[in-house]
Amino acid sequence: MDNKKEFIGIVQANEGLIYKVAKVYANNKEDEQDLYQDIVYQLWKSFGSFRSESKITTWMYRIALNTAIAHLNKEKKKGNQVPIDDLLLNRTDTADTLMNERSEVLFAQIKQLSTVEKGIILLYLEGKTYDEIAGITGFTTTNVGTRLGRIKQKLIAQIN
Amino acid sequence: MQLEEMQTLWTDLSAEMEKQKRLTDSIIIKMTQTNYRNKLNKILIPETIGGAVGFAGLLFILADFQKLNTWYLQVCGIISVLIIFIMPFSSIRAVRKMRSANISANTFKQALLDYSKGKIQFVFAKKMGIYLGAILMLVILPVMGELIGGKDFFKQTNLWFYYVVEFPFFFYFARWVFKHYVKITVDAENILKELEG
Repeated sequence: MDNKKEFIGIVQANEGLIYKVAKVYANNKEDEQDLYQDIVYQLWKSFGSFRSESKITTWMYRIALNTAIAHLNKEKKKGNQVPIDDLLLNRTDTADTLMNERSEVLFAQIKQLSTVEKGIILLYLEGKTYDEIAGITGFTTTNVGTRLGRIKQKLIAQIN
Repeated sequence: MQLEEMQTLWTDLSAEMEKQKRLTDSIIIKMTQTNYRNKLNKILIPETIGGAVGFAGLLFILADFQKLNTWYLQVCGIISVLIIFIMPFSSIRAVRKMRSANISANTFKQALLDYSKGKIQFVFAKKMGIYLGAILMLVILPVMGELIGGKDFFKQTNLWFYYVVEFPFFFYFARWVFKHYVKITVDAENILKELEG
């Protein structure tokens, strides 16, 4: 029970992280809801094996990104999802209309990147250092830098 | 939007999200329980149905195998049994392999490698399934004709008619499926290439 309580606390403290991964990798609202739930489920499934050697967020990013990849392979079947209030998934619908529009542009731009690049840019935007990105993704630190350079070029090309 | 601008907006967005904590205890508990059932259903239902149909067909042919009284019907019977036996196993094996990747222990790179390779193998198994399915269509017709109707289709002049009706459907179905699988394979191969870079 204590284990579950602790897990609930961790998920609540980092719900934005789960939302952002789902938003970047899902193709539509329904898919987003499915992925969001799958990430929470996978986090719970792996929670017992989590050792405090790494930061909780590092562990969460790893599970969330790997779940997103696994999700890309799944058949597009709609399971018995937990009905999630639309508010939960419409976090970008803030009172600030300008910010709404800009965040939609932001996610649209990220979605144009490849599966690998989406993961790297997400971690970079989350403020992770090259070393931390390398730790989560398994690429070398130098390779992370090279890939980010390419992403920058791609983003510039998107604008032009 | 350039990277620096994206980062500023992302930070603003994250701060906004922090203010909007919406997950309740009960929603989280439901998510951990409901998905478990979904996951099991998604894997088990198609596998069980496919396996049961194949097994029933297999038993039916084996139980009355002695009715296949000519060498060519026996050859068709043996090939049918082998294909019915192999097809579901190769497909299930490929699906299991694709899904067996360790989500909690793998890095992002390793997970992508595993899934992309698994996907290519899965497509290969599915393509093999279509080729085997075409052979099965050829050989099972005389077998079932003998076992169900007691007729040796090879001695009847209208055997070709059944094939003429069957194969256009099969051809268009196979072409549609292959087109879908080509895209999956290309996507997976592109990810593998990108990981090497």
